[in-house]
Amino acid sequence: MKIAGIDVGSTTVKAVLAENDVILWQDYQRHHTRQAEKVLEFLNRMEAECGLRPGRDILFLTGSGAGFIAPLVGSKIIQEVVAVAAAVEKLHPDVRFVSEIGGEDMKTIFFTAAPGGHSKQVYMQSACSGGTGTFIEKAAKKLQIGPDELAAMRHTGLSLHKISSKCGIFAEADANTLLKSGVPVSEIIASLFDAVVCQNLATMTKGNTLAPTVLLLGGPNLFFAGLQEAWRHHLMKFWAERGVPLPEGGDAGSLIQVPEQALYYASLGCIEVGRAEAASSPTYAGRDRLRWWIDKGQHEEKAKQGGRALAGDATEMAEFRLRYGDPKRTFGLRAPSFRRRDGPPDAEQAVIIGCDLGSTTSKAVVLSQDSDILFSCYSQSRGNPIEDAQLLMRQIRGAGFHTVGALALTGYGKDLLNDILGADMAVVETVAHAEAARHFFPDVDVICDVGGCDVKIMLLRQGMVVDFRLNSQCSSGNGAFLQGVAERYGVPLEDYAERAFQAKSMPSLAMGCGVFLQSDIVNQQRKGWSCDEIMASLAAVLPVNVWVYAGQLHNLRSIGGKFILQGGTHRNLAVVKAQVDFIRKKAPEAEIFVHPYAGEAGAIGAALCARETLESGSPSRFRGFELIDALDYQSTTSKDTVCHWCACNCQRTFVDVQIPGAEGRPWSKVPAAPGWERVISGNSCPKGMVEDASELRLIKQELEEKRRERPNVADMVRDRAFRQCKATV
Amino acid sequence: MWRTWFGTGHSGSARPRSELRVGIPRTLNVWSTHQFWVAFFAALGLQPSRIVFSSNTSEEQGRNFGRGRGTVDCCYPVKCMSGHYGELVFGQKRKVDILFSPMIRSLPSLLSGHVVDLLSCPRVMAGPESTKAGFIREKDAFAEQSIRYVAPLVCLAEPVLVPRQLHESLADVIPGLTYRETRAAVDAGFAALEDFSNAARAQSRDILRQCARKNDPCILVLARPYHMDPGIGHEIEVDLQACGYPVLWTQYLPTDADVMDWLFGEDIRSGDISSPFDISDVWPSSYSSNTNEIIWGAKVGSRIPWVTCVIRLASYECGMDQPTFSPVQKIVESSGTLFFSFQDLDCTKPAGALKIRVETIRHYVGQHGKRIITRKLAGLGKPCPFTV
Repeated sequence: MKIAGIDVGSTTVKAVLAENDVILWQDYQRHHTRQAEKVLEFLNRMEAECGLRPGRDILFLTGSGAGFIAPLVGSKIIQEVVAVAAAVEKLHPDVRFVSEIGGEDMKTIFFTAAPGGHSKQVYMQSACSGGTGTFIEKAAKKLQIGPDELAAMRHTGLSLHKISSKCGIFAEADANTLLKSGVPVSEIIASLFDAVVCQNLATMTKGNTLAPTVLLLGGPNLFFAGLQEAWRHHLMKFWAERGVPLPEGGDAGSLIQVPEQALYYASLGCIEVGRAEAASSPTYAGRDRLRWWIDKGQHEEKAKQGGRALAGDATEMAEFRLRYGDPKRTFGLRAPSFRRRDGPPDAEQAVIIGCDLGSTTSKAVVLSQDSDILFSCYSQSRGNPIEDAQLLMRQIRGAGFHTVGALALTGYGKDLLNDILGADMAVVETVAHAEAARHFFPDVDVICDVGGCDVKIMLLRQGMVVDFRLNSQCSSGNGAFLQGVAERYGVPLEDYAERAFQAKSMPSLAMGCGVFLQSDIVNQQRKGWSCDEIMASLAAVLPVNVWVYAGQLHNLRSIGGKFILQGGTHRNLAVVKAQVDFIRKKAPEAEIFVHPYAGEAGAIGAALCARETLESGSPSRFRGFELIDALDYQSTTSKDTVCHWCACNCQRTFVDVQIPGAEGRPWSKVPAAPGWERVISGNSCPKGMVEDASELRLIKQELEEKRRERPNVADMVRDRAFRQCKATV
Repeated sequence: MWRTWFGTGHSGSARPRSELRVGIPRTLNVWSTHQFWVAFFAALGLQPSRIVFSSNTSEEQGRNFGRGRGTVDCCYPVKCMSGHYGELVFGQKRKVDILFSPMIRSLPSLLSGHVVDLLSCPRVMAGPESTKAGFIREKDAFAEQSIRYVAPLVCLAEPVLVPRQLHESLADVIPGLTYRETRAAVDAGFAALEDFSNAARAQSRDILRQCARKNDPCILVLARPYHMDPGIGHEIEVDLQACGYPVLWTQYLPTDADVMDWLFGEDIRSGDISSPFDISDVWPSSYSSNTNEIIWGAKVGSRIPWVTCVIRLASYECGMDQPTFSPVQKIVESSGTLFFSFQDLDCTKPAGALKIRVETIRHYVGQHGKRIITRKLAGLGKPCPFTV
């Protein structure tokens, strides 16, 4: 009797066929999301090459894909950690810690000696890409490193940089930033290996001490030499710090082992467990039902599993279109002061400009003194806020506006450009969005702003933003993802909604990590779902990611009754439909509106705030179109611009702008000549705004003075409570 | 019994008291009982310079000293305790002889006598036990470092019990310790703690006097005492202070009779409450000491005119704080006072989000502060104790 152990993982299938402890056949291959097909192919080969026979031999399946394949081939399922542990116990009785990193999961097993064998503690996580193989591969792909090259890359001896280990998508962004600032690719990859090990150690050890000997399993641990080096580096350091006794002559290589068979441990474990259970297990049922499932079954299942259409029925769609089809038309009537005026502008009349300087796009609107929108424009961000602002100003000037009564900025560039453009106000994003919403809906309770790269949910009470959720830890739920998928299908973003509404049903995608969402899409595609259907399901899962996953808001009824949808992503009607359905389901009485100028809401809000300046009669600080257009600047991002004031080591950019009369900075590491004003960006705290120690002293002095003048009772506790006070001696 | 429970089985220290060095983790409710412990050990004859607290919570501390010793605990402030233990055990230039980590069951409180009970959060109380586990799980790290681990259960809200509780746990750690001197040291501890609280309340009163004089707004923080720890509260209030607003904390609000009468006199005379410290009108199940003080702080904050903005801090999924979120918000907002809540604080400090929040608060306080002061002042009688 032969026993086969097949590990159907998230990216590869691994199989071992054995008879009486002798391995007859083994292989592993990537399945490119076609798990069933790959298993069929393996069974085929095992039958042909080694005589695997239905009715006599036994199969055991493990891994994330085992669940649906096992019943088709007459196999038992063995939980993957149990399988790995069984193999390790048999092959390496002295191992105390195992780390298995898979494509989309990570597992750790601790063995402690116990009477009559070992006691085991196992941990597994598969919800987030941080710390998994995908995490490394995704970033490597972005850096255009081939698999072979990646496998040979090192960790030892390279400088490491800070890379977010929490989310694969942000790690990719970090890697990009490092690349832009001139960090060599080898160091970026080394930092990625380091981040993976740190993430595993941080989340998977849970109070257990990693004792030697350690076994590293799974594809990434086997293939990436650099990852092995990172493990060895961290574990040897950890053991030295902890004074963990190491066996005589034990070096990193012998204490932290990567077995040749590292890929096959789950399969080998299946065989190990299977041997004990052979008598009670069903025999291999052959390939027929699996082939049937591939050809027919999965498509039938697709039809069964499919959710209702995003569009709903014809009446529902008609009602939806009537209500949400054109927010501008609907609200043009309600708010007559906010209509777009046609005809040439009155050049003499002073206007208000509001700019929203975002990280991916910058937008500007021009309002009349009566708050009519006279003009709006935008520019894709080119990474330099000054250039972006110049582009906007050129467009405004080109549209025939000359007299500017007030200028207000919002978005991440607002503080940076406040003085350079001569803005009258820098309005915080939350307030800008709230003002824009309140202009149309004075009693708004909740604003949901879904932009390209971020999600903001603002909760209002008494007309003020009292709480908000910013998606900053995880990229799940933002609009860029939608755009990316549409681009991959070659569908223009404007057609997205109509295509999605065509779908008669749609698959249900899993909420959560954007990295896994991508592979889930491939998986659904394989099951036969079409592009339209997948686009519909992607829109449908967005609200779940926005409210539940990113916003952590489970009870929408408790946060209010009037919801306003803002942000460019809400120009997409498919998203609006999904949002309306989702919110209605959670809060049936809720009123939901789309802001008539969803994409420009931030800029409009800023401009509305600046109305006060205009009304107060004080002259605007606006530098004027000519001067802004003529601004000459140069930016530097290098080693010398890194902030060293604290452990964060922010990678700053120095933007030097030519302004007549500016003093320059001849003393700086990155000198600026007289006539140039320096703007520092990329720092995360006010300390980073200064370059040298004397400037820092001045800033600290100012802060201290402020703190002395405006005391904080907690300072007294922090300063005095933990030592013997004079008063109490 | 205490010995078997909480001792680690070493023989008594042979060193004279004046040479003993005691390390106390600067965590959890030590943030409100600090001076009690300083004065208590000093009164027992330990050198004040040898009473060592771990440093403020920080990511670095957790990384250097707590890594791999964490416990499965959903309370972040409790989780951080392993970093503090590690720092005291492994990170001291001069070794400590005793690691003293009290399991504080109940707390001294300004509301004593006016509420049902003054208990600590049970998770916080038991924090030392779960943290200890990370240090003895595989090997006894205390024994290896020749440190005596002492974690007595203490009921600080019931001063008569405290001398016995501390004497029993410390008797074989501090040479020749008698019950009598323990009792005297406990008295000294309570006196020092009260002196400190009075000084802090006086500072709060000063702040309010200045605000009254200039008609300026200030900010009140409603939080648990350990949110003063920069690693737990993320110094959110410091950012607001840098915007030019003085900051009060609920634990140290002034309690002088004239102020209490100004704020609560009418409610007492109308029979709504029995004293200024009575919170039964809004929070009948007043068992938890820190929660009680937060609720009381909300009442005071909603009345004091210059408190134009109240900031609520709560750690990630704090089960003690969760039921208080809406009552506290409603109490504060009932007087038109601005209310901002920073919930689910934990180890990750989302710098961008924090900055936007602080700027948002600054915007609204700037826009509405003066108007709120005028409106709240109009609702109170004369004379104002802060201007006379």
